[in-house]
Amino acid sequence: MNHRRPSKRRRHSRLQRPQPFLGFSPFARSLFLTSSCSSSNRHSRDRSLSHLPSESNPKHAVCKHPTPTKRPSSVSDDDEDNEVNEKESGAEQEMEIIQADFGFFDPKPGDFGGVKLLLQNYLDNKPWDLSGFVDLILEQTTVGTVVKSDGGDDQGDEENDDEDDVYAVISALNLGRYAEHECIHELKKFLLEACGDENVKKKLRTLLEKQANEVGLLVSQRFVNCPHQLVPPLYDALFDEVSWATEDEPTQELRDSFRFKCYLLVTRIYMRKKVDQQKTVTSPDCNEAVVYIKAEDEIFQELSSFSFTFRLHNEQLVPYELRNYNLIGLVMVVKAEAVPKFRERLKSLLAES
Amino acid sequence: MATRIQFENSCEVGVFSKLTNAYCLVAIGGSESFYSAFEAELADVIPVVKTSIGGTRIIGRLCAGNKNGLLLPHTTTDQELQHLRNSLPDQVVVQRIDERLSALGNCIACNDHVALTHTDLDKETEELIADVLGVEVFRQTIAGNILVGSYCTFSNRGGLVHPHTSIEDLDELSTLLQVPLVAGTVNRGSEVIAAGMTVNDWTAFCGADTTATELSVIESVFKLREAQPSAIVDEMRKSLIDTYV
Repeated sequence: MNHRRPSKRRRHSRLQRPQPFLGFSPFARSLFLTSSCSSSNRHSRDRSLSHLPSESNPKHAVCKHPTPTKRPSSVSDDDEDNEVNEKESGAEQEMEIIQADFGFFDPKPGDFGGVKLLLQNYLDNKPWDLSGFVDLILEQTTVGTVVKSDGGDDQGDEENDDEDDVYAVISALNLGRYAEHECIHELKKFLLEACGDENVKKKLRTLLEKQANEVGLLVSQRFVNCPHQLVPPLYDALFDEVSWATEDEPTQELRDSFRFKCYLLVTRIYMRKKVDQQKTVTSPDCNEAVVYIKAEDEIFQELSSFSFTFRLHNEQLVPYELRNYNLIGLVMVVKAEAVPKFRERLKSLLAES
Repeated sequence: MATRIQFENSCEVGVFSKLTNAYCLVAIGGSESFYSAFEAELADVIPVVKTSIGGTRIIGRLCAGNKNGLLLPHTTTDQELQHLRNSLPDQVVVQRIDERLSALGNCIACNDHVALTHTDLDKETEELIADVLGVEVFRQTIAGNILVGSYCTFSNRGGLVHPHTSIEDLDELSTLLQVPLVAGTVNRGSEVIAAGMTVNDWTAFCGADTTATELSVIESVFKLREAQPSAIVDEMRKSLIDTYV
């Protein structure tokens, strides 16, 4: 109740102002020159990605994310593009083209409310120390990203951006490092209880107890309607930060804590209910066995070493098209070696769609 | 006394409950600990009623009330209306109103004497509010927000408003409401005050994330430290209270 839906205040707000060119490092420039996909895609809501290197993490002077397409060259280009926008929005009356900018930031304490809202249903409806869990994510500024709307650059008398809506959060928490925290304790207990299969439970127990120091809990949550262009940079950011942390952290212990051997993910999917054959034949809706709410979960599941599902207890509001599906929880364990493959497949999956 | 509680995993206790000097409404479906927290504080003094409104649990944001009456939106079912009429004390007038802005809890903030309302409320609704709740009605905004019922909460003894309310606005509101006001937050910096807490003249319930500082501000502005339920008598304010500094 305490968050505002992302507002449409940015509509055409970018028309007059020239965009700052953020490709000051060779790395960003090369990324900018090679990326080309989003400008050609005018049929859906147009997004431009931006980023701010945060003050809290100056050592990563290299821009965190590539600036896409539109920004670069000249003001006139920008205007032309926007004119095309306007014409299109005149012609296609159903689809509005809205400019939105998203910024990728390091987590900070002010993001508490937004991140907590995103993780509200992380462990079904079990009462647990969610606030403590969110605190862990926000304290780990070296690995973890929070996506907020980015208007900060151009506003003069800018207020504290404590009020910005958090659209997405991603982080990786070492289960061994934080083992004493109440929330991690409760999370492990929840997962072990939720697991039905004895064999899988044994494997899970070893992971959570003996090998906890090598397991990274990959927390990734975003609003359902977040644009898919955000997803690959989000995961790139995470895995890059994990590898930078293994070199940059001040103590050897911390450096080692980011050498994950595997990642544990807790997420949700829709699985088809057992329905009569007669009904399904006539239904024009979805026919797949599993619908993944987050596209990358499909890739994770294929690359996972093992996974299990569990029933959810709280009331669900299931959209009409998915009335033949149940929302269930899914837990997956993915080996760290599979990550480069994942990143490749994620890019190609989302570049097509 | 102010108590910290939680509804399932949410700290927005003002969404799932409505507390007044004469009764308390609590949403069904939460764990028993939510309900029993209210019972523990209030059981001997005022009735604690479990209900839903329009089949939903967000009762605190849908209804508006004080010791004189309770206003319900048009989405309230007949059974719910009857249940409330049966469970609440006879002197509380329960009325279902036909208002386009059906989230009455977000549009109306009131105590036993004054109400602040959303600027776009119907004239008939305004009259009904004055009638049923026995209050003087003022159309106001809080820090530029029209949802006055969400961004401020006040009892007969004090009030808490949106943190970005200016000093001039605070002065003006304080004069209108005749109670000391403070601009503050609840639930670790949340500005939606009324969603994060619920209060009457002798007790308050805040979300579990509320910090110790926020809690002490709440206890001091609502004067909860010395208050006893038996001391609640209908008082006429004799002195004009300026801004609480």
